[in-house]
Amino acid sequence: MGEEAKPKYIPDPNSAKAKLGKIAKEHYDNLWIAKEKGEMIGWCASNFPQEIFQTLGLTVCYPENQAAAIAARGGGGRLCEVAEGEGYSNDICAYARISIAYSQVKDIEEQNMPQPDYLLCCNNICNCMIKWYENLAKELNIPMILIDIPFNPDYKVSKEEIAYVKGQFLDAIRQLEEITGKKWSDEKFEEIMKISNRTSKAWLEATSFCKYNPSPLNGFDLMNHMAVAVCARGTVEAAEAFELLAKEYEESVKNGTSTFRAEEKHRIMFEGIACWPHLRFTATELKSRGINLVATIYADAFGFIYDDFDGLIEAYCNVPNAINLEHARDKRTAIVKNNKVEGLLVHVNRSCKLWSGFMYEMSRQIAEECNVPLSTFDGDQADPRNFSEAQYETRVQALTEIMEANKGVR
Amino acid sequence: MAALQDILQEFHRIAASPQEQMKHYLAQNKKIVVCSPVYTPEEVIHSMGLLPFGTWGTDMEIKEAKAYFPAFICSVMQSILELGIKGAFDGASAIVIPSLCDSLKCLGQNWKYAVPGIEFVPMTYPQNRNTTYGKEFTKAGYQRVIADLERITGETFEDEKLHKSIEIYNAHNQAMREFSEYAKNYSVITAADRNAVFKSAFFLEKSEHTALINQLLEALKETELADVKKIRIVTSGILADAKELLAILNDNNIQVVADDIAQESRQYRVDCPIAATALDRLAEKFATMNNCSVLYDVNKGRASYLTELVQENKADGIIYALTKFCDPEEFDYVVVKKICEEKEIPLLLIEVDRQMVNYEQVRTAVQTFSEMLG
Amino acid sequence: MYTLGIDIGSTTSKCVLLEDGNKIIATSLVVAGIGTNGGIKCMNEVLENAKVKREEIAYIIATGYGRKNFSEANGELSELSCHAKGVHFADPEVRTIIDIGGQDAKVIRLNSKGILENFLMNDKCAAGTGRFLDVMATILQVPIAEFETQARSTKEPAKISSTCTVFAESEVISQLANGSKVECVIAGICNSVASRVAGLAKRVGVKEEVFMSGGVARNGGVRDALERELQVSIKYSEHSQLMGALGAALFAYEKIGAAE
Repeated sequence: MGEEAKPKYIPDPNSAKAKLGKIAKEHYDNLWIAKEKGEMIGWCASNFPQEIFQTLGLTVCYPENQAAAIAARGGGGRLCEVAEGEGYSNDICAYARISIAYSQVKDIEEQNMPQPDYLLCCNNICNCMIKWYENLAKELNIPMILIDIPFNPDYKVSKEEIAYVKGQFLDAIRQLEEITGKKWSDEKFEEIMKISNRTSKAWLEATSFCKYNPSPLNGFDLMNHMAVAVCARGTVEAAEAFELLAKEYEESVKNGTSTFRAEEKHRIMFEGIACWPHLRFTATELKSRGINLVATIYADAFGFIYDDFDGLIEAYCNVPNAINLEHARDKRTAIVKNNKVEGLLVHVNRSCKLWSGFMYEMSRQIAEECNVPLSTFDGDQADPRNFSEAQYETRVQALTEIMEANKGVR
Repeated sequence: MAALQDILQEFHRIAASPQEQMKHYLAQNKKIVVCSPVYTPEEVIHSMGLLPFGTWGTDMEIKEAKAYFPAFICSVMQSILELGIKGAFDGASAIVIPSLCDSLKCLGQNWKYAVPGIEFVPMTYPQNRNTTYGKEFTKAGYQRVIADLERITGETFEDEKLHKSIEIYNAHNQAMREFSEYAKNYSVITAADRNAVFKSAFFLEKSEHTALINQLLEALKETELADVKKIRIVTSGILADAKELLAILNDNNIQVVADDIAQESRQYRVDCPIAATALDRLAEKFATMNNCSVLYDVNKGRASYLTELVQENKADGIIYALTKFCDPEEFDYVVVKKICEEKEIPLLLIEVDRQMVNYEQVRTAVQTFSEMLG
Repeated sequence: MYTLGIDIGSTTSKCVLLEDGNKIIATSLVVAGIGTNGGIKCMNEVLENAKVKREEIAYIIATGYGRKNFSEANGELSELSCHAKGVHFADPEVRTIIDIGGQDAKVIRLNSKGILENFLMNDKCAAGTGRFLDVMATILQVPIAEFETQARSTKEPAKISSTCTVFAESEVISQLANGSKVECVIAGICNSVASRVAGLAKRVGVKEEVFMSGGVARNGGVRDALERELQVSIKYSEHSQLMGALGAALFAYEKIGAAE
């Protein structure tokens, strides 16, 4: 979705891009196959510990991925209005509105997926997630499992938090065994942890190529590949595809090529979720000015590296939206410095109170610490109505002018 | 009657002058700990000899806080931060902010930089709270608060003292429930009076507040029940304390017969039971709390709880005062709306926030609602 | 016996004079609303039209945002109750009223007796109200009265998706800057208002027949768009602006009946 509308281009089937696309597509295909076989389907939060259901061999899908896909294909506004017709305020997260609307509409052209038999919720990304899934569970009258990972006000994860999450983790396994009739195997769990680590490492390795100047990739690519990091982290195919992606980037660096098809004049960090309904516009505005996105916290969001069970839990406690301002700031500062970022473009996302609620202060601190200019814009991850092209254009232009001035271009 | 009005006036005075109350306690060399919504463990603070001083923000124009919060964060958070920046809490030793909703998480993080003079103490609660591991985590949260407050204020914590404070708080809960039960039938208690009684609780040491409530109850018992036909309403939401809103309820002959307001009765529904230690008692209390938009409940029990409130109190309908940008309440509204449609309970949705100047739309809506029920 | 209903809105005042609770003797409309002497002017006008003296009126009910400040009235009622009453008198088949005024939008459901069953008003945002249209009319420098013909003259409405008035303003400007025709932009604006109000209507539940009233009802562009959004046909009367005052006059008659 990062490219221009050109004659339909078919990627080399042996390329990482094709493989990742295939995994994403098969993810949905497999859901329907499972549903037809009579298997139970779960709807799952993006940062729910996937090791649990991978070990149990359950089939789940991701409403957040679906909502993003629907929004990117132009259905966000329509489904938001369906939810609003039910009484949901238009101030509620647009992913939630789209997902709740989909659970009622059930068949749309943008992206279908099977209806759920149970729900797996984890609030390490936000508490809004709890309310969204509560309402789904009530409406659909199906069981819901919540792994509560509270926002951590401290820099380090405490042993008390690990114990609390571990208790829930074990309870969730027991409940899921009851709901689905599947059995837990410690051996399988070990294996899944290995694969997940391998996938995460490969994902982090691939995203790390943004640090090269120029970068071998258009940063918007990551927002697409992320779907696979979410839905297939525990599979060997995903691990292999990301390893291949990293290899391709390595080649590109050697050959001086890039998926960013313009001269890379400026390097920025894009903060926040993409504006899916306006993805082309937001990306093109940057590309036309030679601005490449070389840093995003997304990379970290789905890279879970750990050695053991406690480490696994700690990794899920340390996802970007569950950590305090200082920890979140330092993670970003490190990326900005490491990837030689020259400006920050911050999406103040109407849908995400948690991601936007202390972003002003945090981005000020990052900009100051790294001595880079900062520009914010108002937008929304999935509701097309909360975005203004004119405002975005002006803000990006201003950022560009400062970056140019800093380089003494003018 | 004069006595009753005098006592009510005292509640109004306290509710309207939190800063005077703070000064009053500071002058007595009390150390003050500001308590942000929602469910801050006041008992713990009280037991350490500190004065828990509640805040739910105030109706005001937001200026300074805009440098920290985008416009779509609720005005409760915005105005608490604004008050902090403007020095309304100066003299307090610390502020305790629980993180039960996304905006509260952000309030805590912003506070550290916006109001560096008053230290932020986080209170982290579990959502899977009624489990062994959940209760352990709740206790760990309290212990964190204790450790921070010991460091900041030099006061110490003793479990025995917490038992005593818990008794004071349990007695206060009891008094508040009794007041609500009594007040519903007395047309002399207006919506504004009722709110002042609840709101003042945050600005007084709790045994003092209980004493005042008991005086009020005595005076009420001596008051004759007037035979006035009122429209009986249950209110629900985060808060409904705007002067204009309360006046509108009164103008339209509305008697609040029960509430499910976070700032009001949600605070007082559950007492601390008996348990091994005082801290366990407190954790047990949190474990059994429910029917609240920021406490996880897969059964959405709050909706049926509301309909029970309507039945028990013979109410004519529900006013759902939705705090603008409060997503937990926005999600719950839809479930409440459905159950009200099923049970044919009239439900009025009004949006409120702390920066509202024009109440005309609310006035029209409330008037229409009362015409519909009357 | 005469009763009078007066509806003092944000920009206009309306009066209906009723005889014996079933016969409209005279009506008046003055473009001057709350905070002016529009109310008195409007009442005097209706009395003059009907050649009826003030003393002959048995009861006056005021409604609309200025209802509290009209000292001539014997009583006041909300405009929602009055609207429902007035519309029911004019057309007893109506079950849903969509009323878009200058300041707010309301959806009213009524039963077969004309009694209010349920209602909902817009949230704090101005999108979906007459004010939104006013702002847009100023930007385009096209009088609102022309919106209808302009909107109907095109089959290609521009997409105005923003829900925020400020954003919509910049959207309209960029549409014009990109060469969109004014009529297409106007059609887009009408669609945008309709989509907001349709959301409100769906929350209350739309039951046929549907009637549209309020100042914005005069704008056929919005009416057409609402019909498409809700997939129902929408009734409208030239006198729709008077429904509130009519309802008030009817309530005034009931008051007398109850007293006697």
